[in-house]
Amino acid sequence: MTSPPTEAVPTEAVPTETQPTETQPTETQPTETQPTKTQPTEPRLAPVAPMRVVGQRVSHHDFVDKVKGSLHYAADWQLPGMLYGRVVRSLVPSARIVSIDTAQAQAMRGVAAVLTGADVPRNSLVERASGGLGELLVPMPILAADRVRYVGEPVAVVAAVTQQIADEAAELVAVEYEELPGLFDMEAALEPDAPRVHDEGNVLVNWHIARGDVDAAMAAADVVVEGTYRTQHVEHAYLEPEAGVGWMDHDVVTVRASTQVIEHAAEIAEILDLPANKVRVIAAYMGGGFGGKEDMTVEPFIALLVWKTGRPVRMIWDRQESMLASTKRHPFLMRYRTGARDDGRIVAQDIDLLGDAGAYPYLSARILFAGAALSCGPYQVPNVRVRARPVFTNNVPTSAFRGFGAMQVTFGYESQMDRVAAALGLDRGEVRRRNFLRKGDLIPTGETLDTVVAVDETLRRALAALGEPSPPSAPGRLVGRGFACNMQPYGRTIWFRDRASAWLTLQADGTLLIRSGVTDLGAGQAASLCQIASEMLGVPLGDISVYIGDTALTPPAGGTFATRQLYMSGNAVLNAARDLRANLDPVAADLLGCPAGELNYSGGLVRAGDSADAKGVSLAELARACDAQAVELSCLSTWRAQAGTFDPATGQGGSFPDYTYGTHAAEVEVDPETGEVRVLRYVASHDVGAAINPMRVEGQIQGGAMQGLGYALTEEIVLEDGLTASSLFSSYFIPTSLDMPDVQVEIVESGEGKGPLNARGIGEPPLGPVAPAIASAIADATGCRPTRLPMTAERILALLDEQAGRP
Amino acid sequence: MVAAPFEYARVGSYDDAVQALSAYDEDAKLLAGGQSLVPMLNLRLVRPTVLIDINGADARAPHLADGELVLPALTRHVRLTTDPVVSGHAPLLSAAVRYVGNVRVRNRGTIGGSLAHADPTGELSCAALALGASVIVYGPEGARVIPAGELFTGFLGTQLAPQEVIGEVRVPAWRPPYGWSFQEVARRASDFAVVAVAASVQADPGRGLIRQARVGLAGVADRVVLADESAVGSLVGTRPTDAELAGVARAVAEATSPDSDVHASGAYRKRLVAVLTRRALAEAISRADEAEAA
Amino acid sequence: MSAEQNGSEPGRSRALVTLTVNGAEREAWVEPGDLLLDVLHDEFGLGEVRYGCGEGVCGTCTVLVDGEPVSACLMLAVQAEGHAVTTLSALSGARDELHPLQQAFLRLGGSQCGFCTPGVILTAYALAQRFEARGSEARAPEARAPEARAPEARGSGAPTRDEIRYELVGNLCRCTGYTKILDAIESYLAEGPEGSR
Repeated sequence: MTSPPTEAVPTEAVPTETQPTETQPTETQPTETQPTKTQPTEPRLAPVAPMRVVGQRVSHHDFVDKVKGSLHYAADWQLPGMLYGRVVRSLVPSARIVSIDTAQAQAMRGVAAVLTGADVPRNSLVERASGGLGELLVPMPILAADRVRYVGEPVAVVAAVTQQIADEAAELVAVEYEELPGLFDMEAALEPDAPRVHDEGNVLVNWHIARGDVDAAMAAADVVVEGTYRTQHVEHAYLEPEAGVGWMDHDVVTVRASTQVIEHAAEIAEILDLPANKVRVIAAYMGGGFGGKEDMTVEPFIALLVWKTGRPVRMIWDRQESMLASTKRHPFLMRYRTGARDDGRIVAQDIDLLGDAGAYPYLSARILFAGAALSCGPYQVPNVRVRARPVFTNNVPTSAFRGFGAMQVTFGYESQMDRVAAALGLDRGEVRRRNFLRKGDLIPTGETLDTVVAVDETLRRALAALGEPSPPSAPGRLVGRGFACNMQPYGRTIWFRDRASAWLTLQADGTLLIRSGVTDLGAGQAASLCQIASEMLGVPLGDISVYIGDTALTPPAGGTFATRQLYMSGNAVLNAARDLRANLDPVAADLLGCPAGELNYSGGLVRAGDSADAKGVSLAELARACDAQAVELSCLSTWRAQAGTFDPATGQGGSFPDYTYGTHAAEVEVDPETGEVRVLRYVASHDVGAAINPMRVEGQIQGGAMQGLGYALTEEIVLEDGLTASSLFSSYFIPTSLDMPDVQVEIVESGEGKGPLNARGIGEPPLGPVAPAIASAIADATGCRPTRLPMTAERILALLDEQAGRP
Repeated sequence: MVAAPFEYARVGSYDDAVQALSAYDEDAKLLAGGQSLVPMLNLRLVRPTVLIDINGADARAPHLADGELVLPALTRHVRLTTDPVVSGHAPLLSAAVRYVGNVRVRNRGTIGGSLAHADPTGELSCAALALGASVIVYGPEGARVIPAGELFTGFLGTQLAPQEVIGEVRVPAWRPPYGWSFQEVARRASDFAVVAVAASVQADPGRGLIRQARVGLAGVADRVVLADESAVGSLVGTRPTDAELAGVARAVAEATSPDSDVHASGAYRKRLVAVLTRRALAEAISRADEAEAA
Repeated sequence: MSAEQNGSEPGRSRALVTLTVNGAEREAWVEPGDLLLDVLHDEFGLGEVRYGCGEGVCGTCTVLVDGEPVSACLMLAVQAEGHAVTTLSALSGARDELHPLQQAFLRLGGSQCGFCTPGVILTAYALAQRFEARGSEARAPEARAPEARAPEARGSGAPTRDEIRYELVGNLCRCTGYTKILDAIESYLAEGPEGSR
């Protein structure tokens, strides 16, 4: 534990990220100090005993600003002399750049800069996504200089005094292309004579996971079920398009952007050939991220323009630009062979995953690994062989999207479980129950599960909540029910020795500052830290200010992805709070004349015990007493996740720290004449270990289920020869308020989890089960099983036709 | 993206609008509700040099005249749901407009603008065809009447000359017993139609036989179209059974040849035409029966 | 409306317009093509009116014009002259306290990333005003111009949850799944017009 150097509050015009102006009154309940452990406790399914702040449905901090509309997002920032930026993008999917003529653009009045690859000091980024476990190292230019590999690839960038002039100048940049053969199909990418997207080869990495003897087990199986499943490109479609504002602060390139990862500051420095301390990235609260703001988006372009012009620059991507060119979710082609015994026990899984990485690697290597590692789902599978390969194409690049590979495979393994049940004449739920993993079991990577697996409880709760079957709404409509179980990692792949730091400072008047490098996606990343600190230190929520996401001013917490922030930063704050308590307790015990173990911190006071008339002092008095004794009130703590390694040769080793399990159940109605599918009822149940804020947990589950619904039924980025059929937002069908009934949430709290206070992450888990639950319900209603997403009405009608023998 | 720059002029009458259009010729566009035009401006899909704002050209409300429902072209979509004159005399329009966009689109969008935009999936255009509506068009040579069935000439195209503007939509009275129905399949709630069918049916009082029927189709061609008139016409003078209705609907579908696009294939659209036409006719006849009984 | 060349760019005429925003008159120099969205956000610094799509599809830029929701990205600034424009900040009280509708959103978790929130709340607010007007119309049935906040043709009473869904179908949200948004609006409507407003 180190004491950070005392630092004056910065004087530049950086407003505080949040000023809590209003809090909901927290119910005072008899306090029960939760044992502050970070190791999993004994398993139990009963809810965790109520705490004062943690576990409450409170809304505070940034949420207040959000309902007022006063939160400053990335685009809500103006500086004197600000310029407006626009990226110039390739119109062709595969070509050599013959020439780029910027003369006309530069000559326009009001244009401050037109930059191409030649203007970028180091015009190349290499993503080392898997940490050197065998993937190709493929460079990606910031501004394409000799070749373009996808429609929308940046080739130039413009800054001008108005957005309109920037847009017009961008149109005047003349690029001459010599088109090259393009590759647009994943399977074609594997052909030996396929066009090469990159000279290094089309297969980015070849993952293997293997345990046992799959061939022998398959041969001995009573039934082998085969299935091929295809999923589509989808777009994050956050309501806030990519945006940011940059400026020179003395000689520091400063970028304030809507970003999940401020650590990209290091790459910006590399690109500009600057020392790392000359770049600063500040994360604005995001209007949604979902993984689409996990890689750099506007940051390198803003930084370039700022650095070149010396002036502030704002860049907001058009929605249509974002639809066209921002990274998407990997389409997966999944081939499953599942071997089972007559009693439904799975004996073997043989799985092949192919993912369309698009034109550049980004995070594809990791995503296919996550898919591979999770490809068997929450089931005991003694013999496993998984191969997973991301391949390059000249399609739009794909990268992180909530679920990260482990989401797509849910459609594969759950469809297979249904099929095994059907092949054996067994109940779908019974087959699953007979195979569910348990604590202590081995998973395909050879690791042992060390927290409780409560998936069976989530299955029980989800099915129970579905209630009585609904009658058809009109004659001829078909009603059916389905469900799906999943397992989603939380926390980053353990090869990366993940860590997060948090810095807590108790002020002289008893108020608290939290500084954390965390970035906030809108899911309460920052607010949850306040809740935890409030619980531990008794500082009322209204007396806590939280500052986040600034490479200069907050201790690094790593990016907000992989459902890791509650696990990592939550634990970091918890630890920092415990460190602070360790400093405060002796002083408080002395002041109050009681043993430290009886101290009760709540409501801005520390008291000698739980009873209402116990003697107490205010936190301000305690702070003064500490100061008088030179006891440190400012604690920085670094939480380090468990580390591990994976051996690509054996296909065994470490993968993820832990998992969140869940089950979704759906009732649908199919119109067999039009193929339309309507969801009548939907229940989602997840074991979150312990709910830090049940309302936010519900919100994550409901929102995630809705995103999963779009993925299941309506969303698709349609690409033909690398060109998107439509980049209009009106052509991309994210669900509306009328597209789904209310998602009923059943929270299970097993009491075990590696997050703070035994919590598990909940950001990503709710997406995976949706598509397979609905497919299962459609199969129940019609007898047809969709194997391709999205399950549009037209595709359902085609399945019905096939079943009926209609041409 | 920011629109290419243009000048802006506001006119207070249709005469002024026609004059302005004549003055600026090909480079001018009329601005009414803006719900179709302004997105295209924002995306630089159109680049007029002048925008002529006609929102102030006509403040009249929908009203009846000579047995017809007169809808000023600037009638906002929301008015079609809330005005009892409209819901009383053209309930098919009130029903169709509920599928148009969302509350914001309906607050600003106008029926004249919708028809002039000539979207082949347009719900109001489709309903106008089924109702046998006409538009009154103002131009340099004065006013002329164009039946809805002759208005649409192709993808986003009408027979309006560059200096012409739609001033009114007129809907003839459909005498009771009268029934109607609007059916739509969309990819997502509130979205543009994949296929929509509007049916308007007048029955013979007392005998339940169909006296007149018109069916409009959207999403099946480069423009909204009337369903095959011999197929629909075969219903006149009859009291169709379910099987006969299905047969008519199939014939209507067979007479279409929809193209495929990213949202649906032509074959699927054709299937939808058969299903939705059958449902629309059945519901319209059923409503006519209820009107008779009432 | 007079156009004055002020020498900024050739062929672009700027005009001084006066907009009534949240009850206060504000002036801005605008070009004909300037959208109401950009003037409100960039010129007047109203960060709660946000760009989401530029197509009028997402609802993020929703403002009230004469009390009814419109897409600020589909209205030219010059068109707003002479009309009352309302943004979310109008709902907060004189001392910046939360409107009961905002309180409901906060209490029930109707906002996650918050980006869609101003558009959603304004749309809900307009819906509530319309039904309140219909309620008072039922109590005092004098003739009212049909344009002014005319109710949907339906029986009296607060909107059902499905009707609220329909009203909100054009306000896209990617975070909440809509359930808590609907909960908040229902809760607010249930408080009645005599609630702490």
